[in-house]
Amino acid sequence: MQADNDFATDAELSSRIVTPGSAITSDPMYMRGHGTFTENDTIYSSVSGVVERINKLVSVRSLKQRYSGEVGDIVVGRITEVGSKRWRVDVNSRQDGVLMLSSINLPGGILRRKSESDELQMRTFFAEGDLVFAEVQLNTPAGLSLHTRSIQYGKLRNGQLVTVFPQLVPRSRNHFHSLPCGVDVVIGVNGYIWVSKQVPASKVEENAELIYSDKNDSISDHEREAIARVANCISLLNRLYVKITDASIMYAYEESLHHLVKDLLTKRVAVDLAHSVKSRLAQQS
Amino acid sequence: MASLTLSPAEHDFITRGVESGFRSDGRGSLDRREVTLRIGMISQANGSARCRVGNLGVGTDILVGIKAEVNPWSPSDGVPENSGTIVCNVDCSPSAAQEFEGRGGEELNVELTQLLDRIFNGPQSGIDLEKLCIIPKQAYWILHVDVLVLDVKGGIVDALVWATRAALMSTRLPRVVVESIPDENGVMQAEFDVVDDPEDMTELVGVENMPIAVTFFQIGRRFVVDPSEQEEAVSQARMTVAVSPGMDICAMQKGGVLRGFSPALLAEIMQSAQTVASEEFERFKNLYSEARSQTLDQMDEPSTGSTFLVPF
Repeated sequence: MQADNDFATDAELSSRIVTPGSAITSDPMYMRGHGTFTENDTIYSSVSGVVERINKLVSVRSLKQRYSGEVGDIVVGRITEVGSKRWRVDVNSRQDGVLMLSSINLPGGILRRKSESDELQMRTFFAEGDLVFAEVQLNTPAGLSLHTRSIQYGKLRNGQLVTVFPQLVPRSRNHFHSLPCGVDVVIGVNGYIWVSKQVPASKVEENAELIYSDKNDSISDHEREAIARVANCISLLNRLYVKITDASIMYAYEESLHHLVKDLLTKRVAVDLAHSVKSRLAQQS
Repeated sequence: MASLTLSPAEHDFITRGVESGFRSDGRGSLDRREVTLRIGMISQANGSARCRVGNLGVGTDILVGIKAEVNPWSPSDGVPENSGTIVCNVDCSPSAAQEFEGRGGEELNVELTQLLDRIFNGPQSGIDLEKLCIIPKQAYWILHVDVLVLDVKGGIVDALVWATRAALMSTRLPRVVVESIPDENGVMQAEFDVVDDPEDMTELVGVENMPIAVTFFQIGRRFVVDPSEQEEAVSQARMTVAVSPGMDICAMQKGGVLRGFSPALLAEIMQSAQTVASEEFERFKNLYSEARSQTLDQMDEPSTGSTFLVPF
């Protein structure tokens, strides 16, 4: 390993682990990117993470970070405040997101301008504490702007929330999965994952009136067990620092079937399970 | 304790799960999470322990240090003339939860301090406080129990008592030599000398009789022990029951203002407390002896916080 200041080869520049204050390079050909700062013409890391280089741009991807939104991301958020014509939404980011009254669907899917009476009954749509399934519409310096203008978006019910590191959730075409084990998951890119009872797709459309309902359907003990098992598997994947996708969740789920749900997170079982899940993931890639 | 706003759907999901005996993480209502225990990590203290309740290395994290101090007796202290005393102090660190910032944790600090005092400072704790008296009406030992709550992931109280119990068990007091010396008038006066020898230390008397606490959280029509953060946010009331190794209930404290307990539920809670406590005593014994063997191995190097964080 060469001294920090004169660092030359590309191989050393990428995939190196740095801590805040580590000198990355003093070569003037590089430009500083995210997670770095310059002092006396040397680029230093401002976070702990992995150095990445794209052409001349050097950046550091931190190992732990808050969610930074991009337009089109599917997120799960929690309403923190009801304001005039807007809701504030916690999306695990540096700032709260905003959901405008004009960016939601009305019950029954009626399309019209929102009137003053809609404004007065905003809490019947979303109240403080509610979880919403939404998409990022705009990314402004004032925070993310969300919308729920699709039949599958809206209020979440019939399940529980699991929080993971946002960088473990890769952006993909689909973030809503009906797993073969009879559980629906919404894998929010912001690290909030909603695990719930499976509702057949046909029923979603006929229940358009129910999109703002707070009432859970009746959930059998069997369904409850499957939900808890998936939730525990996700917590385990998070602890293993493994990418969280529908495939990795199913691997963990299948490997976990030999154990009781309540034992999944105990040291004895988790270490065992971690080995089998990791070896299975290694086989796939 | 921690303020967490849940949606009505989550609220209902958790409540109905508890009522059907299947919690969100798959546990039954009386199942507890894993506990990690370390002792003797503060070398300047007479006794210390760190206890974490939670799975996969995340959970409620409590650090307890015990410092013994010789205090001259005075009638205004409120300490009996032939006994010593235990003074508890609980501090919720602002790094544990956002609402502890500023003065936010004060109310909880007072509540938990009072609870620890209720359990440990008195004959119900099993510790022989009279042995903490050095010379009646002259000098006695004060044991300062200082508790720091480092992280909150549901159910502070049980972890608090676990850690305090472990710290008191690991406490070693210096030996005190009491002599009678005649003063200038020829009247015999008792005088004492604290032996300053790290090898010559004694354990507290009666530590094996200390109680263990089991806290029940009422959710819907049922109750759970060792709640997760979400379950705690849903619970309407909580009841801490301290049970001695002889299975006697020696202290109780209710918390949470949303609701009371029905007498039938309370009777059931007290029954369950004894069942849970007898399992907890067994678990504590195993973990404590494990923690003790680890400290003996690392006698040269007192274990620090960082070694505590690697169990997974």
